[in-house]
Amino acid sequence: MGRQKAQVCLACHGPAGNSTNPVMPSLAGQPAQFIATELYQFHEGNRKDPQMTPIAANLSNADMNDLAAYFSAQKSAPPLHITDPANAAVAPKLAQQFNCVQCHGSALLGQQHIPRLAGQQYEYLKTQLHGFKAQTRADIDGNMTMAAQALTDKEIDILADYLAGLGAS
Amino acid sequence: MAPVSIRVLIAFLLIAAGLVAPAAVLAQQAPPAAPPAWQQGRATEQSSSTLHPFVPQMTGRPASELPIDKLKVPAGFKVEVWVDGVPEARSLALGDKGTVFVSNRLAKNVYAIVDHGGQREVKVILKGLNAPNGIAFGKGTLYVAERNRITRYDGIEDRLDNPPEGKVVVDGLDPQTQPGHFWKFLALGPDGKLYYNVGSPQNITMPAYFQATISRVDPQTGVVETYAQGVRNSVGFDWHPRTQELWFTDNGRDWMDDEIPADKLNVAKHKGENFGFPYCHQGDTLDPEYGKNRSCAEFTPPVLKLGAHVAPLGMRFYTGKMFPAEYKDNIFIARHGSWDRSVKQGYDVFRVALDDTGKVVKAEPFLTGFLVDAKADPPMWGRPVDVLVMKDGALLVSDDYNGIIYRVSYK
Repeated sequence: MGRQKAQVCLACHGPAGNSTNPVMPSLAGQPAQFIATELYQFHEGNRKDPQMTPIAANLSNADMNDLAAYFSAQKSAPPLHITDPANAAVAPKLAQQFNCVQCHGSALLGQQHIPRLAGQQYEYLKTQLHGFKAQTRADIDGNMTMAAQALTDKEIDILADYLAGLGAS
Repeated sequence: MAPVSIRVLIAFLLIAAGLVAPAAVLAQQAPPAAPPAWQQGRATEQSSSTLHPFVPQMTGRPASELPIDKLKVPAGFKVEVWVDGVPEARSLALGDKGTVFVSNRLAKNVYAIVDHGGQREVKVILKGLNAPNGIAFGKGTLYVAERNRITRYDGIEDRLDNPPEGKVVVDGLDPQTQPGHFWKFLALGPDGKLYYNVGSPQNITMPAYFQATISRVDPQTGVVETYAQGVRNSVGFDWHPRTQELWFTDNGRDWMDDEIPADKLNVAKHKGENFGFPYCHQGDTLDPEYGKNRSCAEFTPPVLKLGAHVAPLGMRFYTGKMFPAEYKDNIFIARHGSWDRSVKQGYDVFRVALDDTGKVVKAEPFLTGFLVDAKADPPMWGRPVDVLVMKDGALLVSDDYNGIIYRVSYK
């Protein structure tokens, strides 16, 4: 059921939810609860996006759950992004220092309502982190808004570059 | 316009940023970022801990996909799904005409559930509220406690499809936009006043004078009083049917130990008692930091320790006629946790029986089966939040993780 409903998503999010566009997030292999939570946020108007808002507005809770189940079951493709070695050297320490690994997990694969970051698209990650820092990105429990306040633009660049190139197992 | 949840964070974030370090210093020395409220108070040696709170399935889950048949109640009792499709079902309140009202905490709705002879209809009656966790009903009026205010909706049961605008009872209840424990429980006391909690703003910090309290407001005059102090976060209270004393649950601090402190069942025999937070936990254990130079003898001890980190939320005295006589005036407590333990416990409805003097004579799990694997993440498939005694004597139990309400009955 999820597969059929997901067809409309693939035009932007890529085959089986593996995006090849740096501004579009990959959905393949994301935790189901995370996907459902974000669809709910778009549906409720808490999270806003010119493309996603109208799509989510028409989804039922069952649709959101079906889509979440489908995309979470898809295998995530190895990332195409190549991390700058200088960033790769310093980023793991930043991920620790800014509490990323506390919630997203030591391998940054996400869990429950918390997204997988490893292998996520570079420009998308940057946009989200800037959005959290600017307090304009919806946030179910406020944790990311708080965490992003301490990040400099440079640190956002380094983290996004690092995460986008991380191979997801 | 920024969403409300973001806007209310702004004030705190400014404070938090100021407390941690100015941005200029960050660039130079890069000190650690401010931790989320639930992580505050965690010791350095716990920094690699993988423990974390759980967030509900915001879209709800249909009962047909869940192991409902794994739920257990004592012999003679029966548990069934009363209604599903009530995403993030939190507090419960019963209208005079039989409407069951249900609240949200992270989501923004209040629902009304109308029973058409066994077919139940779920209506969203209020939308866009600010963490409307607390609801209470009395004399035709529904009261709603949001993060920052309490409002009233008069004659609501006759206007479920066209609810009136809320009238403010009291506003300004969250002047510091506190980051943690910002939601409120609400109940109407035998004195006609509305009782609500203001939680501790963090896990373990010194609260301001209005925080870590149970307060009350007279809905006629709007006059507010602090009723009990040193209450870290109470998300459930009720009055003893005979003594009219206020009994309440209280959630203890985190990041101390797997086994301490226990969460508490308390009784406030009169106005002005202090229950110990942040100095003394579980009635007998001083806080390693705030407890210096204090004594637990200064504070009212709990009636019962409910287990470490089990997160006791909603509680009611059983005043119905359906259950056996030994259940009369027992307390049912919804235990929503635990998360701050390496081996989880709780996730049940707990039964406490008292003797005529108010002494606990029995304390045991009553509705179990939500906890599947105490070492898994997540360890459970459902989480009880509140309990409600129906007119026929059945007990309703809300589950915010799935958006389901269960009914426990006895034959």
